[in-house]
Amino acid sequence: MTSLIIVSVLAVAVLYLGLFKYKTALLPVSVTGLLAAAAMAAMDWDLEKMYFSEMMLFDNYAVAFSILLILTTLLIFGLSRNYFEKISNNVAEYYALMLFALAGGVVMVSFHNLAMLFIGIEILSISLYVLAGIRRKDPASNEASLKYFLMGAFATGFLLFGTALIYGATGSFNLAAIASSGAFESALFRAGVLLMMVGLSFKVSVAPFHTWTPDVYEGSPGLIAMFMATVVKTAGFAAFLRLFLMAFAEASAFWAITVAILCILTLFAGNITAVFQDRFKRLLAWSSVSHAGYLLLAILAVGFSASSAVLVYTIAYSLASVAAFGIMILVSRARGNDHLDSFNGLARTNPFLAFTLTLAVCSLAGIPLTAGFFGKFYVFKVALAQGYTWLVVLAVINAMIGIYYYFKVIIAMYMKENANAVAIQLNPGFRLVLSIVVFLIFLFGIFPGLIANIL
Amino acid sequence: MSWISTIIFLPVVFLVIILLLPSRFREWYRYITLGTAILQAGIACIIYLRFDQAGSDGFQFLEKVPWIHLSLGNLGRLEIDYFLGVDGLSAPLLILSAVVMVAAAISSWEIKENMKGYFALFLLMDAAIMGVFCALDFFLFYVFYELMLLPLYFLIGMWGGPRREYAALKFFLYTLFGSVFMLLVIVGLYFSVTDPVSGAYTFNMLHMMDAANFVPGAVFSPEVVQTILGVPARLLGFAVIFIAFAIKVPVVPLHTWLPDAHVEAPTPISIILAGLLLKIGGYGILRICFGIFPDSALYFSWFIGMLGVISILYGALNALAMKDLKKLIAYSSVSHMGFVLLGFASFTTEGTSGALLQMVSHGILSTMLFFLVGVLYNRVHDRFIPNFRGLASHMPHYTAFVMVAFFASLGLPGFSAFIAEAFTLIGTFNSQSVNGLLPRWMAIAGSLGILLSAAYFLWTLQRMFFGTTRFRGGEAWSKQLIDLRPHEWAVLLPMALLTLMLGIFPSLFFDLSNSALANMVQELFETGKRHLDSLQYTNNLRF
Amino acid sequence: MSHFLIVGAALFSIGLYTVFSRKNAILVLIGIEFMLNAAILNLVAFGRYDRIDNEGQVFAIFAIVLAAATVAVALAIIINVYKQYKTIDPDKIKDMKY
Repeated sequence: MTSLIIVSVLAVAVLYLGLFKYKTALLPVSVTGLLAAAAMAAMDWDLEKMYFSEMMLFDNYAVAFSILLILTTLLIFGLSRNYFEKISNNVAEYYALMLFALAGGVVMVSFHNLAMLFIGIEILSISLYVLAGIRRKDPASNEASLKYFLMGAFATGFLLFGTALIYGATGSFNLAAIASSGAFESALFRAGVLLMMVGLSFKVSVAPFHTWTPDVYEGSPGLIAMFMATVVKTAGFAAFLRLFLMAFAEASAFWAITVAILCILTLFAGNITAVFQDRFKRLLAWSSVSHAGYLLLAILAVGFSASSAVLVYTIAYSLASVAAFGIMILVSRARGNDHLDSFNGLARTNPFLAFTLTLAVCSLAGIPLTAGFFGKFYVFKVALAQGYTWLVVLAVINAMIGIYYYFKVIIAMYMKENANAVAIQLNPGFRLVLSIVVFLIFLFGIFPGLIANIL
Repeated sequence: MSWISTIIFLPVVFLVIILLLPSRFREWYRYITLGTAILQAGIACIIYLRFDQAGSDGFQFLEKVPWIHLSLGNLGRLEIDYFLGVDGLSAPLLILSAVVMVAAAISSWEIKENMKGYFALFLLMDAAIMGVFCALDFFLFYVFYELMLLPLYFLIGMWGGPRREYAALKFFLYTLFGSVFMLLVIVGLYFSVTDPVSGAYTFNMLHMMDAANFVPGAVFSPEVVQTILGVPARLLGFAVIFIAFAIKVPVVPLHTWLPDAHVEAPTPISIILAGLLLKIGGYGILRICFGIFPDSALYFSWFIGMLGVISILYGALNALAMKDLKKLIAYSSVSHMGFVLLGFASFTTEGTSGALLQMVSHGILSTMLFFLVGVLYNRVHDRFIPNFRGLASHMPHYTAFVMVAFFASLGLPGFSAFIAEAFTLIGTFNSQSVNGLLPRWMAIAGSLGILLSAAYFLWTLQRMFFGTTRFRGGEAWSKQLIDLRPHEWAVLLPMALLTLMLGIFPSLFFDLSNSALANMVQELFETGKRHLDSLQYTNNLRF
Repeated sequence: MSHFLIVGAALFSIGLYTVFSRKNAILVLIGIEFMLNAAILNLVAFGRYDRIDNEGQVFAIFAIVLAAATVAVALAIIINVYKQYKTIDPDKIKDMKY
């Protein structure tokens, strides 16, 4: 709880810093604040405290995901020095909006009441609508913002209506009360669950509600896209799983088949379309759709280890995404665009970047000894234990397709030449963040017990 | 001193040293790599000498350290161990790996560009290959197996020939296609097998090989027929893993990556591909497919033998038609590895020992053959058979080694391949009377393969090496085609001696493996038969 | 009770139809507002059965506030888009292709 307060206060403080033109203080203050927030969150470990008459529950699940969200944001901030200054004069708003979004994310992973879920999602989304369109002079950014807003608000409608129906069926917004209400057979409840599922699917870009994803990712500034792919997706899935685990677990026979269908659609839509992308950012956007599919697989296996599987997977995915988007930003800034050809010869000019991106992409593809492999392995294992053999077989086929397109960028970096490529300059923030990410991907790849034993 | 961990992680240590050395010491990289390979060969010698040959089927040099331990709540505990060991089946292959690595390290002298990357990847692959042969935990095996792929992909893709990207990706996707599905079977097996002591689910391969450890009613239980998607689970599991390894062997029709990969790969990588990677396929089939699913192996034995025969004949016929010397040798590998499959399928001690010796012998011979092609290619950058004539008088020493390699490969008595193929065929021939698995005509078809291999090797010898000296490149080529250099001698001579030694004293090899294999084959056949009888599949695949 | 539900469902459907059929971002926004208000209506209606906590009513107020915030941001975005493109038809704003 203290961490949530710190994050919110931090956001307001950063706004004021911007108001009084302390631009140089923005980054240090944000980083210190986030570190404090992460530390405070860690202090809540094993306490299982309820807040505000059972509106929020800081159990280990909430603490683990809060820390993940905060640390990912920290990594993104580490890359952001000199980034926002190039885009706009009002740098403080960036930090403030991202911190507000983060606060929304923390609420989303710790809600114990549908009202808090709704509020968390709205805080996150509204901040993001603005962030997506923050490059005001850039048509693509505007387009992304408009699309994201229309889709997001549309999804909110579904979510809210679903919440209302569930309230009608069970008489409460409290997760525990819903779970014990025993109203799982009523049509009202079922319609509510389906509507909420649609709403959440929009937010975490699950097919067929994913169509906004590539456009919004492409139009938004790189770091914001990174934020969407990591923090927002993690928060969204954590909320998704928390809701279905804590409130609807008993009714799983009814919604499991729908989730299974969504899972297959998402996997195929994401992976097959990604094969035909020749821009790296769009490729990452489609691949992020496909990763939603793998995460749905874990949600299907409601149970104790589902949350652990989602945590492991999101950690691996966030780390790899930070590296992939970060290098995409560097390359597109240096070479003018994010076309796959722009990566040609990167191995020769910047061996470190090429190696990091290779590692990130291998982790996304699920090659052993990277964190991503254990993430996929864990998810598959959990789903197989629940008997979803055919679903896992389809997921494995998709993992194969994934490897094909992820390797396109490796081929470009290592096996194609670019005669007039010059080395890309790295600022210390990038170097530090990328080194941390490389280290963690290896560490969690070789000793996955470190993260898999948390929950 | 844990020798096996040392042999696996020695390359990793030197890999780190290479990465830390600045590039002005780039000349050192190849010496470091060669030194690593020689050290590994030394350790392999120690393992050979210390190996208890009388110890029947027991695993030796065991090492076990807990690696990943998780609590999965209602699913029990996930326990993955770092578990290594060798027996009579893996020890010869481990020693072979160390020997071939030395040859590959020497032939890496031809690599001139981006040496840091090359030698780092080379050492990583080295470590992974050693690990595959020693891993006794299925998860660990899978990790090593996949870890080996990525460096190979880069080694072919970055230092290969003109169509390297295509060849590398094809190789990678083929192998991966097999292995990802294998992963699902691994998880299925994990949920089916428990540790007899602790009662927890386990990835331990030794436990998986003992039918008593299967949970009654689990997916892969050998007692009752379970089905996955309408197919009996054990048959499906066997087929999935078999396909994964058959791609590696390679078995026709899953072999199409091999000619591409070989043609595009640089010489040392070709050597490792043919000398070691194909052996991993054979090793996996015997250790994992046959070891864990003996009943399914019996069930499919006719089919596996048939695939072996097809590979032998198809590979040989293709080799006959090739104009590119490297492609010819690649197809001859397909043909020779067919014998391995045939020997395994016979379920006789002779057949299995012969097949294992064939793997070792082919490892040595293909190293020689690909190295010899590399010698020619490095000099004139051409390896088309019609472009050369009368090399014998121009490069006499070279020709001598080519003749040794060719004659050894086509199964001349006195060389290792002869013993190997003879044993394999004896086993196959006996199979009908001993256990009734393979019909006699398969042995006859196999010997036809030997005849065909004699045809293509001798024909190549006649076309390229005899007759009046005439090269497509004219005078320029005559100048470039100088005879063997010292470092080339250093590879070829020991290899030639090794194949001769194994041919004259096959007991050097058989002592190592025979007692283990004899027990293993007998046991596999009996348990397999028992389970097959109790499972009672309705239709039988024997035609 | 069922009257409220029917009205709510009808409002939701009208909103849904508006979102899909209208070519003007403002009208799409209005459609979304219809959907939100349908939900809010339902919340209040169901709140009748929850006399102790009045959770439904409280949630409705939260939803109204957040909807207002959304509209504020939305209008800003739409104005910005209009400045760039001189149109607010989402179908015409298509620089990006799949």
